[in-house]
This record gives sequence, structure tokens and C-alpha cells, in this order.
Amino acid sequence: MELSVPDREFMYSGHVACPGCGAAIAMRFVLKALGEKIIMVIPACCWSIIAGPYPMSTLRVPVLHTAFETGGSVASGIKAALEVRGDHETTVVTWAGDGGTFDIGFQALSGAVERNEDFIYICYDNEAYMNTGIQRSSSTPYGAWTTTTPGQDWKKMRKKNIVEALVAHRIRYAATANIAFPEDLINKVKKAKNMKGSRFIHIFSTCPTGWRVPSEMSIKIARMAVQTNIFPLYEVENGVEYTINYRPKGYLVKEYFKLQGRFSHLTEEDLDQIQEMVEEDWKLLLRKAGVFSGS
Amino acid sequence: MKNSNRANMCVPLLIPRSYKTSEENKTGSWRFLRPRYLEKTAPCSSACPVGQDIPRIQMLAVQGSFKEAWELLLSENPFPGTCGRVCFHPCESACNRLEFDEAVAIRMIERFLADTASRYELQPRLNKLAEKGKKVAIIGSGPGGLSAAYFLALLGYSCDVFESSNKPGGMLRWAIPFYRLPLKVLEEEIARIESLGVRIFCNHHVEFEKFKHLRSNYDAIFVSCGYQKGRRLNIPGEESPGVEDGLTFLRELKSDPSSPSLHGSVAVIGGGNTAIDVARSVLRCGAKPVIVYRRRKEDMRAFGEEIKMALDEGVRIEELKSPLKIEKKESGVILTLQKMKVAGIDESGRAAIEPDNTDPEIVSYDRVFVAIGTEPSEPWYVCDSCSGKDIKLYNSVMRFDGQFPVIFGGDLTTEAKTVTNAIASGKEAAMALDVLFRIGKDFVLPEISRCRVGNGLSVSMEIYLNGERKNRVSHVVSYAEINTDYFNLIPRTPQPRLLREERINSFSEIDLKISGSVAMKEAGRCFNCGICNHCDNCYLFCPEIAVKRQDSEEGGLRAINYDYCKGCGLCVVECPRNAMVLEEESA
Repeated sequence: MELSVPDREFMYSGHVACPGCGAAIAMRFVLKALGEKIIMVIPACCWSIIAGPYPMSTLRVPVLHTAFETGGSVASGIKAALEVRGDHETTVVTWAGDGGTFDIGFQALSGAVERNEDFIYICYDNEAYMNTGIQRSSSTPYGAWTTTTPGQDWKKMRKKNIVEALVAHRIRYAATANIAFPEDLINKVKKAKNMKGSRFIHIFSTCPTGWRVPSEMSIKIARMAVQTNIFPLYEVENGVEYTINYRPKGYLVKEYFKLQGRFSHLTEEDLDQIQEMVEEDWKLLLRKAGVFSGS
Repeated sequence: MKNSNRANMCVPLLIPRSYKTSEENKTGSWRFLRPRYLEKTAPCSSACPVGQDIPRIQMLAVQGSFKEAWELLLSENPFPGTCGRVCFHPCESACNRLEFDEAVAIRMIERFLADTASRYELQPRLNKLAEKGKKVAIIGSGPGGLSAAYFLALLGYSCDVFESSNKPGGMLRWAIPFYRLPLKVLEEEIARIESLGVRIFCNHHVEFEKFKHLRSNYDAIFVSCGYQKGRRLNIPGEESPGVEDGLTFLRELKSDPSSPSLHGSVAVIGGGNTAIDVARSVLRCGAKPVIVYRRRKEDMRAFGEEIKMALDEGVRIEELKSPLKIEKKESGVILTLQKMKVAGIDESGRAAIEPDNTDPEIVSYDRVFVAIGTEPSEPWYVCDSCSGKDIKLYNSVMRFDGQFPVIFGGDLTTEAKTVTNAIASGKEAAMALDVLFRIGKDFVLPEISRCRVGNGLSVSMEIYLNGERKNRVSHVVSYAEINTDYFNLIPRTPQPRLLREERINSFSEIDLKISGSVAMKEAGRCFNCGICNHCDNCYLFCPEIAVKRQDSEEGGLRAINYDYCKGCGLCVVECPRNAMVLEEESA
């Protein structure tokens, strides 16, 4: 076996994610890295459905399904309760989608991180409200079609940079990860598990249904997001120490866009503009990481 | 409410709590596409005349399983040490990696594996089948004849090989110079064949009367006596002293390595590998060789790499010159050469030529060697036309003399007259005779076709013996079917060689050894097209946890649990080497 990924599974088959679901793959890797001594908080998101209708559960760890906006506050409460009971071992993990993180749950998340609550917040990002029918979120990227940004009214605002928003809180640890890079993802989750304080991991998770792509392309597209610099793999400690974990091949962004139906309306000019935006973001990141490589 | 009551009261748990797993949800019913494991054929294997299982050999080499890799080589070819040196490696020209960066140095790894086995005196585990009680006579102990003997012996037949010269090996022994193939390598490989019980009778020339006599003592005869006779120029003065046959020169040189000393300027007429070998040998004997060829350099039949090295060593090539006549002078010969010009390109892509109308050129040389090709030395060897009763196979022809089976192989039947093609014909003949003896004449062609590797001319002994390789389909994996996301650009390991200055003064082997770590690194460049190398991407990326691994010594088996597989197809796309397939679900 080429990759060092733990063998043990903490997920059962029979979940109800769409075929090729990136969020299901992300959950599988994250649980492999975390092990069993955890409590998971899942605010409303695709995974509220995927985990199975009552009385079934697809996860081998305790899960608390909670309201949309409460990912940060419920985790804070559970951690406090565990401390009262003298359990300093169990890790509290919030598992939320981009809607529950970038938009609806942002206040609770920001509050918890500001208090430096001792928990891990994982956002699996599929770039829109997928299970309610593909409505745009503040994580939906510039240029994307959704059911609320249809036709020529495609989204003309940038994707919110959630990692930078949390870095501004001087969060203990923030990192990006991607389902096409399992080793990097698992290393980051393990690293986060061994820290104290608030930790945030942002996982890029393809949504074949919402992005209008064939299910078998899920990983390929996720990998392309990294190779084009659209979703760089990096981590930030204590809000200041940046590390870029992977040097991308630097493909043109159109290689990524042309694979997806949600971007099919974009013209060459639009793609050129997006290329510039991506390059600008990448240069900014390089500066923050102290890399001055002219590129 | 009293305080004591409040303390005893239990807060009821109002949160519903799951109590069973989702496994009763058989999501396999969603599926309309079905992934499955299906190994395919690598382009290198299909291009290899002996159909070596190259992707698997590389996989074993990467793991450091050098002995297993060598045994795999031996299962399809008794001459890996020889082919690892002299094969024209069509595998490398077919390598999918060529489109990515550079072809894998397959021949170099083959040689490394053979040399490693020889250095540690490893004994291969060869699966010799039970004696079948039949005897086969083999005429000629070249690569074709000895391969037939080797495989027939493994299949349980007793074989006697008849060789007209005083030592076995055919062209390997008499034509290929030591700087390409050291004697020790050849002798070890022949000894391994003899160790299976094959008897080689040297100094036994089989003329037609003897051939008829052999019929009464054997159950079949394999004829692979090769093309031994140098072709003639058919121009005046060819018989002059100082004009010699190139092949004869090589043979004398190899039987007496103290080598004649040559001097002055020596012309070698021809454009094939023999011409190059003669020219390079002449150079090593102290003379200045000039190859005279009637077409262009790029039309030469010799292998490109050999031509390049010859030029590098100082061999000159006079192209587009055709000899008209040869005259004797007091010391040496005078060649009259007609200049030729290109008159279009023929079907094979070589230049068609015609004399240009200039006056012939007259050049004097100290000696002239003729190396314009070879032909069978006796007419009854010839087997170029097939009658309806013959069974024409990919590399050999089975003919019936009454009911008596005679198979022709080696140069007599192969299209490309190379060592590896001759080996292929010997292996094929062994398989064909086994089919004939076991189940009869009608099954020869279908059985041999069943063992074909991909879409080429090669047949596999492992498939014939119903090894695991028979489960692969003949579809040849193309570059477009490789998921190159999983590969990085790595330059090909160059073959280390003697310096030019070291080469030209001796017959020492030019290509040098490589280390185990270099071989492993180079083998690691292989895409392993079409075969599972247990990378586990299918297992890793499955969102349904529907790919199961059962680890075993061979590296583990993978199986898809169709109760839960939704048919997303991720495993098939993420398989870097196209060892899986996605098919429409049957109703």
C-alpha cells in the first residue's frame, strides 16, 4: 500500500449520500484520523441526512444532531459538560457544511473561537446549500451557477475566505485539506487532535449533484482545485505561522472550470478574469507564508 | 415540590437515540453502473515478441522481489540474460510512459534481474510437468531451437538437439560480438536448459537423409537451423581474394578471440545488424571500417542505437552507394561504386533508390566484407510458402509429412529475424506440439490463439498453462487510459557504458551493470499498465466503504461489495493503471 492511511473504519456502509459524494469521503478520512474517543456535533447540513434516518446511524462514534446555527455553541457546551464530569480525553468535533459555517453558524463559530474553546471545527465545503436544493452560500465561488444564481445571474461575488476570517481570530490552528490528498488531510486532523484550544479544518469536498459533474470525477476535480491554485493546501498556527503544504502544478484555472456544468456559461473573458483573481489570491498567500518566489 | 424529591428526580432523556446501523440499507439497489476488477494487457507485453509480463516484472522489481521477477522472466523466455543485452526492445518503443516523459528502461532491468540471479547463483523454481513419454528432435541449437527444447522439457517431453557446429548457441554464439554478449552469459543460459534434461549433440549436421532417418526415432521434429549462409552480391569480382563473408569473419573472430590484426581501410557492404557488428569488430581489430550502403542511413535495417554507437566509435558510413564490381589489386581490392539517388519512398517507409547518372566512383580498400543478409543453407529448410494442410501460427509453421509433425521456426518462419522472435517461435512450437499430442491437430490453432498477448504476435506460456494471467483481457491499455495524476516526471535512467576510448580497443562488454537501487527506481517509473499493483486507491476513495481488502501474502485481494456499491465509478477513474472497468448494470 502506497499511502499511510489508518485501516480502521468508523463509518458503516448503507449511508444515503449521493453516489460519488465528496463529503462522505471526507468524513471517512477524518474519522480514521480521529479514532473513537470523540463526540461529534452535526448542525443541519447534508450530513444530517447522510448519517441516516432515525433510528439508524452510519457512524460508529456518538453524534449529536443540532440546529443549523449552533455548531460552535453546542460544541462549547459539550466540552464544558465533559470537563465537569472529569473527562479531559474525549475530543469534541463539530462537523458542518459551508452554509452552517460561512453563513448561518458563523456567529456561534466566531464566538467559540474568540473564547478559544477546546474543540475541532471541521467544515466540509461543497460550495452551496446542497441538500436543500443547491442554493448559493457565501462559500459559492465567483462564476458559479446555483438555483438561486441561475442563468446570466450567476454569482458575481467572491467566495468568502473562511480560513483567513478565522486566522483573524488568532485561532490556535487553521488548515485547508482536500479529499484528493488523503495523507495531507489525515495528517492535519491528527495534528489538530493533539492540540488544545480552537482548531479549524476546511475540507474541499466535491458535490457531483450540485456541481453538475459525473460522480466518477469527484476526486479528479478536487485534485484539480489544488493543482490550479484555486484551493491551496496550507495551514496557519496561532494566526501567524503560515505553511504551504503542497506546491501545485499550476495548471490554468480553466482546466478546473471546464470539467463542471455549474461553470459552463462562463466565457473566455470570464475565465481570464478568474485566472487573475486566483493568481492574486495565491500571491497574497505566498507573501503571508514568507515565500517570495516571483511566481 | 420538596427539596428531597427534586434531588431524586431524573431528567428524562428527550433526545431520540439511534440504536442500529445503516447497514440494513442496501444502497447497491441505486446502482446502474457496475465497477469491477479487470486486468488488461500492457502495450509493452503486446509488443514483446515473447510476450513477457513486463508490468508485473516491474512491480516485483520495485518491491525488491528480484528472484520472483527473474522467475517470471524465465516463465516466458529461457534467455533473459541474453535478451537483456541484445533484444531490440520493441517494448520500450510501445511504452505508454513515452508519451509522458521517456520510456521505462525495460531491457536494462531485464538484464539486471538476470545478472543478479547469476551473481547469487540462484536456482529458479521451474514447474516441470510430468513426463509425457514422447520424444522431439530439434534441428539447430540457436535461440529458437534451444527455446523449443526448454519449453518442451518443461512440458514433459524429452528433447534431443542436433547442432552442426562444435558448440551450441547458433547466432548467439557465432555472430553477436562479445562486446554485446559476453560468452559467460550465454553459456550459463544454455547450461540451465541442459539441466532440464535436454541433450545437445554438437557436430551433428542434419542433411536431408539424416532428417528422414530422425523421423523413425522421434515423435516430432522442430526445424530451426536458421539462416546461416551469407547472401551474395552477384557482381563481378566477388570471388577475389580479399573479399570475404561478414558472418564468417564474425564466426572466426568469436572462435579465436586472440583475433586477427587488421590494418588499413576496410569496406563493409550492407546495412543490417551484421554489417554494423562486422564494422565495429573490424575497428576493434585495428583497421578503419567504412560501411557502404546503397540506401540512406535512416533506411538501414540495423537498430538505431547500434548505428549511433558505431558512428560514435569512428565507423564511417557511405550511404547511397551500390557496388558494381570488385577488382583485385596487388595489396587489397578496388571497389567500383555507383552513386544512387532517392526515387520515392516505398511502403515500409524506406527510400526507393535508382542510379543517378554520374560516373562510378572507384575506391581502393585493403579488404571487403559482404554482409547483405543471410539465407537458409539448404533448400529443404525453406518454409516460406504454406500449403492448405499446414498450420500457420504466429511465429512458426506446423507441417505434416503424412501424419508426422514437423514444425519450422526461427529465422525460417519469423517475419523479423531477431533473437527474440526466434525464441518466440520455439516457445510457440513447444506449445503447439503439446496441444497436438494431448488433444489433437484441430485444437492447435485455437489453443495457440487463446494464448495470444494483446494484439501482437506473441503468445504466453503462463496463459497456456492457465496461470492467473489468462484472466487478463487482450485490450491493450493506451496512454489516455492512464490516470497520470498519480505520476511525476522522472527522467529515464541512462544505460551506463564504457567510454568510447575504452570500447574501441577491446571486445569487453560495453553496457555496464546497474545497482539494485537504480533498478528499483527505474522499475518504479513503470505505470504497470492494466494490472493491479495493490495501490489501494479503489479502497481508499470509495465513499461507500464497499471495497474490501483481504490481506494475504500476495499483497491482498480486493473485492467490491455490491450490496452497497452505488456505482459512482470513482474507483475506476482513480485506478491509475486501468485495472478496472465500469459497465452498464444488466437488468
